[in-house]
Amino acid sequence: MKHEIKQPIRQGLKRELRQGLKKVEGGSKHGLALTVLILMLVSNMLPAGAEGAGAAGESLQMSKSELSDTIILYMKILYLGEEGELPEAEFLTGAAAAYLEQAAESDGSVLKIATPNVIKSASFIGDSNLGVFAHLSNPPLMKMDADGHLVGQLAESYEVSENNTQWTFYLKDDLYWSDGKKVTPKDIEFSIRYYGEKTPWARWINDTLESSAVSDADNSVTFKFNKPYTRINLEFATYDILPAHVWESIENPMEYLNEGPYVGCGPYYLKQIDLNAGKLVFEKNPYWKGKAPAFGSVEVHFYSNVDVATLALENGDADTYYKYAGSYPYPNIEQLEKTGDFDFLEKTNIGLVFLAPNLKKAPLSDLEFREALSYAVNYEEIVRLETLGYGDVPNHGFVPPSMEAFKETEKLEYSPEKARKILENAGYSDSNGNGILEGKDGKDIELEILIRPDYARTGELLKEYLEQVGIAANLRTVDADTWITMKDSYAYDLTVTRSTPWGMLMHASWGSGYFDSRRTGQGVMHNVEDPKFLQLCDEALATTDPAELEACAHELQDYYAEELPAIPLYWNNVVTPFNREFEGWYADPLYGIYNLDNFLNVHGI
Amino acid sequence: MREGLKKVVRYAASFFLIVTLNFALPRLMPGDPVKNLIGEDVYVSEGVMEELRAGMGLDRPLYEQFTAYIGDLLRLDLGYSYHLHSPVADILRDRIGWTLLFVGVSVLLGTALGTLLGAYAGWKPETKANRLACCGFITLSCTPPYFLALLCLEIFAFKLGLFPFKGFYDVPTPGSIAHHMFLPVTVMALFSASRNFLIMRGSVIQEKGQLYALYARAKGLYDTSILFRHVIKNASLPIITLLALDFGFLFSGALFTEIVFSLNGMGTLIYDAIIGKDYPVLQGSFLVIALAVLLANMLADLLYEVADPRVRRPA
Repeated sequence: MKHEIKQPIRQGLKRELRQGLKKVEGGSKHGLALTVLILMLVSNMLPAGAEGAGAAGESLQMSKSELSDTIILYMKILYLGEEGELPEAEFLTGAAAAYLEQAAESDGSVLKIATPNVIKSASFIGDSNLGVFAHLSNPPLMKMDADGHLVGQLAESYEVSENNTQWTFYLKDDLYWSDGKKVTPKDIEFSIRYYGEKTPWARWINDTLESSAVSDADNSVTFKFNKPYTRINLEFATYDILPAHVWESIENPMEYLNEGPYVGCGPYYLKQIDLNAGKLVFEKNPYWKGKAPAFGSVEVHFYSNVDVATLALENGDADTYYKYAGSYPYPNIEQLEKTGDFDFLEKTNIGLVFLAPNLKKAPLSDLEFREALSYAVNYEEIVRLETLGYGDVPNHGFVPPSMEAFKETEKLEYSPEKARKILENAGYSDSNGNGILEGKDGKDIELEILIRPDYARTGELLKEYLEQVGIAANLRTVDADTWITMKDSYAYDLTVTRSTPWGMLMHASWGSGYFDSRRTGQGVMHNVEDPKFLQLCDEALATTDPAELEACAHELQDYYAEELPAIPLYWNNVVTPFNREFEGWYADPLYGIYNLDNFLNVHGI
Repeated sequence: MREGLKKVVRYAASFFLIVTLNFALPRLMPGDPVKNLIGEDVYVSEGVMEELRAGMGLDRPLYEQFTAYIGDLLRLDLGYSYHLHSPVADILRDRIGWTLLFVGVSVLLGTALGTLLGAYAGWKPETKANRLACCGFITLSCTPPYFLALLCLEIFAFKLGLFPFKGFYDVPTPGSIAHHMFLPVTVMALFSASRNFLIMRGSVIQEKGQLYALYARAKGLYDTSILFRHVIKNASLPIITLLALDFGFLFSGALFTEIVFSLNGMGTLIYDAIIGKDYPVLQGSFLVIALAVLLANMLADLLYEVADPRVRRPA
């Protein structure tokens, strides 16, 4: 199966180039002088200058390689008499001027991002937040587009064998490291193997990768696994690609601390990590051949306190705000709006907050009890209080609509009457008249709700809702570590927790990684042992066919809706403010606005 | 001599107890450093977890871990941070330097300011200016440093735009460092001054009623001479105690102020280490703090003897 990667930007450029072409009418001295002039101008560009900008809708802007292609074409037609359409002289001079103008403008401009994701160590491989920010300098092979589809980033296309054990990635051929060396398939092979050998979280690569091969002929790298692996395209959207010629001499990359610069192959390279100034500085990659970014440099400023980060934005110290798997703080949005300097990008988070029942213990092991519970919760109120309106009442199907292959299921409803009725029909009654229903063992139902401090208010609300339908509840608020210990030993009745975007995508995806009892991990509930669910997970894990995956996704959402292994409490929106002076922002479901395309597309108005 | 020996034994015993507690306390916290290191949504096999545990030495029995810890300490090896990927000694060296600059200057300024103003306020408590100062410092001492820091940031950095929001510097030059440090140092110094002010004021009020002060006045000494040559010496004993205690504070940093101003100091280092169950960093940090407090107490003992002849006089 071959997956071609759409390249609307490149196609747009070609279209624009065609618009600027016309039939040759004959050579002239004027043409020669023009060509020489343009060549001199381009060749004298500073290495750090813009590499061109071929955005659709900006007819004169193109990348350096496209501008050179056009000039070469012009020369071939004009002096060697080759057949073809000759670009107009005005078009060429205009394009060169636009290129130079943008280079001059962008070199001094800085895009500043405020973030509460603090970098704690100058370890490129070891610091998890740094790993996310380094996507700009060392982009992964794949990426997720705005609709949640996996598409190539460094890869032009990829294919996977019928039995899903062999994955081949074809690289783009215009990628260069910031030290001038070409990005080769060996770099990709090295990076993936390096992570597998040197980092614990990627040890699965080491354990399952049987062999790998590179082909310079078709610029590809092939990975062969010892068992079917169907999520490689997703996994490879997270691993930053490293230059083999730099990193192969570093024996222990986790312990390798360096404040920069680091060689990168993205539009920018990581120039400096300054922990004491609280910033990362990315500078333009002088050898970047793709669309030119509009900014000379990008700075990521980290703030230990979210409130201070919001003040910095209001003060104009930053152009946007980024938090992995999180939104700009809802209470501060209004204040920022008042400055009149920011617009907001709003997108439903694919992570969500949910209520997880302990399916191993009565009465939560009873589906009817869980169904009653789902009616007892006042979702509207929770959405209003927790998201200040930047959220929605979720569906029974758990998965938020921003996730690929979302299936519309019934919306969760608040109806204490229905909850009481279901409980009564299921045999839960208050025979002693003390206001608390009795379980099937005859004892009063008193649920223990395990809460982390982050969800203290949600816990209080849930306690009230349960009491309204005759269920007593105790809140047990514990720190994160105690929560994990208790959750892993199933020492709770109900707990409130959340899923992250990556969490929703891991395992068989659509949140299944949180529930599959065969999995372990700090944040996962591993509470579903139902063979039907496990089989669904296995089926999803066994295919790379988009149609089959979609069918599995729908079945999983149906399962969530019918069996209620978790009750989603709210879907929240990720709100990202951005400076009004710039446009072209978009967010992807995995990394939000921190994706390479934003840094290429965003430009001044 | 015997007294000195007793003190040495006492300090040595305290040190051993501290080292033992340093080892035990982090391990008494709930949570698993290995799981913490892996993160929430990452799946790794049990085999890898065990391998990591072994690499950290956490698979060994506690007594073996303790003897290894003591052995490392004797070789002046504070271990290796799980999360910061660096030797603990290097991390501490870097953080202590900045913390000394930030908290050390604040404590010194606060002590000097609080002591002098407090002494004057205690000497003439009835004047309007001193009453006002007293009210002001009481208010400051009751204000949580976190709130005070945010308030200063809101006014001076956000509203007036006089100071930056975060970090030790933009570029590592003395000017940039001074510009960035001004607000956090001011906040901490004010907070420290308020405590010193109140203690000194009370102490001077108590001392000025003593017979030696009356005698000095009877000798015909001026007010300032009585205060600064006689009273302040005796009244400063509690300040010495407070200063010794502040040494611990000095090295543990000022967590909340560091968080507000995004400063990479000892406070955030310890806080992150607690959250991340980074035992070596916790052990190393607590050890440094404990040593600093022990040292400060020894100095305080010496200073008591200098300041108060009754202390060095045999009972």
